[in-house]
Amino acid sequence: MAIGRRRRLARNGLYVAGLSPAAFLLALFFVGPALWALASSFTNRALVGIDAANPRFVGLDNYARLFGDPDFGRVILNSVIFVIGSAIIGQFVLGLALALLLDHAQRRGFLATNLVYASVLLAWVNPTIIAGFLWVAMFDFYNGSLNTGLHQLGLGPVDWLGKGPMLAVIIANIWRGTAFTMLIFLGALRTIPSDIYEAARVDGANAFRRFWDHTLPILRPIAALTLLSVTMATFGTFILIQTLTNGGPAFQTEVIALYAFHEAFQAHAVGYGSTIAVVMLALNLSFAIVFLRWSRARA
Amino acid sequence: MTALAAGGEQVAARTTAPPAPRRARRAGPIEWLLVHSVFLVVCAFFLIPFLWLLSAAFDERASAYIQWPAAPTIMNFVRIFTEHDFARVLANSVFVAVATMVLVVFAVSLAGYSLSRLDLRHKDWITYAVLLLQTMPISATMVPIYGLARQLGLRNSYLGLILIHAAIELPFLIWLMKGFFDSIPRHLEEAAWLDGRSRVRALFEIVLPLARPGLGIAAGLAFLSAWAEVLMVVILIDQDNLKTVPLAFYEAMRTQGGYTEVQYGVIAAMAVVYLLPVMVVFFGARRLMIRGLMSSTRGL
Repeated sequence: MAIGRRRRLARNGLYVAGLSPAAFLLALFFVGPALWALASSFTNRALVGIDAANPRFVGLDNYARLFGDPDFGRVILNSVIFVIGSAIIGQFVLGLALALLLDHAQRRGFLATNLVYASVLLAWVNPTIIAGFLWVAMFDFYNGSLNTGLHQLGLGPVDWLGKGPMLAVIIANIWRGTAFTMLIFLGALRTIPSDIYEAARVDGANAFRRFWDHTLPILRPIAALTLLSVTMATFGTFILIQTLTNGGPAFQTEVIALYAFHEAFQAHAVGYGSTIAVVMLALNLSFAIVFLRWSRARA
Repeated sequence: MTALAAGGEQVAARTTAPPAPRRARRAGPIEWLLVHSVFLVVCAFFLIPFLWLLSAAFDERASAYIQWPAAPTIMNFVRIFTEHDFARVLANSVFVAVATMVLVVFAVSLAGYSLSRLDLRHKDWITYAVLLLQTMPISATMVPIYGLARQLGLRNSYLGLILIHAAIELPFLIWLMKGFFDSIPRHLEEAAWLDGRSRVRALFEIVLPLARPGLGIAAGLAFLSAWAEVLMVVILIDQDNLKTVPLAFYEAMRTQGGYTEVQYGVIAAMAVVYLLPVMVVFFGARRLMIRGLMSSTRGL
């Protein structure tokens, strides 16, 4: 028994050694920054000037400032609108609809199915900064493809990035992210054998009935998890919005990640920027814990 | 991370999805028309930006409007190499992405295997901790990473960039690889130990060759992620000779006096070159990459 335990320890020792390179990197770039942000959020650390060299401990001042900051209220509101518009309504609903459509079309043997599938996927795999660039061009007021197209339909030009910037970034993010939900639901739908639908049809069930009885039960368990992971991914959106609007005009698209960036790097208030980052991490952690609980409950 | 909380095993078990069983009940003409008109709208939405990109890249006088180039030319591609020093930028990017890939494959094969074989009572806690890290958006840790990197002297150094790029991909890939190693029976390596091989040799000679598909996914995703990642490059690199493609792209878009003066043709040519490796890696191993990417999506 004693020998067995010693051998087990010895063997685990090797495994712990095997984990160490990864653990070192994770500690340095995940845990380290989180702790650094937490520590800095209690200081007036700055990027330049006297406070850059000798940050002073300021207690909860940054948090008091943050929760009294009307800009921050606006930022949270923007983030919520962005997440609801682009993740929950856009990517989730559109992705689900596309998955149902493509699954149906594939069962029918329509050849164009693969083309549609690939085009949705293409928007998803390209680097974010290219997505930003493409939509800067699409939304261009004078020459953009969208306004030129509208003009040919006899409609006036729309100042996408000036008058409706939130709608514009939401459209761009839907374009970019819909493939993810679509793939998850397509994967689930493929597990339903066609025979079930055939049998239901023979029994006289209409399309709605077949969907309700056979499709929905397959989709429901993964829907919540998908929704939550889409929400988490969207909550952290930065590059796409920065290239399109950089938070503007007039703060209309300033989401939480951009606000932290601007406070730290443009207002040079690293302490305050870290405070925003801490709040963001806390929110994300709470999403993640809910996510893990749900996925464990499923397993 | 995703709904595929049990995805590692799934990937290991079947790297190719079974084809949907097809029974061609013929569709009526009305249904055909309806489905295809929706298809047309969807394709237009998702493809028009790319069609514009191609048209602009081959047009010296490209504008934001999608149009067939009056005189198709490759001058834009010539100019990015002659005027914008793009060859060096590309070489830098390839170096960073390949180095990241090598480091990631090394770290995740060790960590995934160890986590799979570790014999602890609360081992699942480690797995969940790794999953929690996976959900941390780097846009939230960007400010502290900048501060930390400055204090550690990791700014304007590829070492810092490569370490960070590797770290970003680790949580998900460790978890993915653990699934792969879980599906490889222990008795194979135990037999090798009895033959007198050391633990390390057994890992390299017996276990890793069996995990090759998983290592392929890990390598592909690490390369793609390092190739596409822009946030860390923007905050860590500001020397011209260290510039990588995403940074060159970022600067080309920002420094041209507002978006009205953007040289669309040149930037579009850069974008096409930037996209090529993504297309090759992704469509070269589409099934594998999709399975992998689906489980790794994160906000950028």
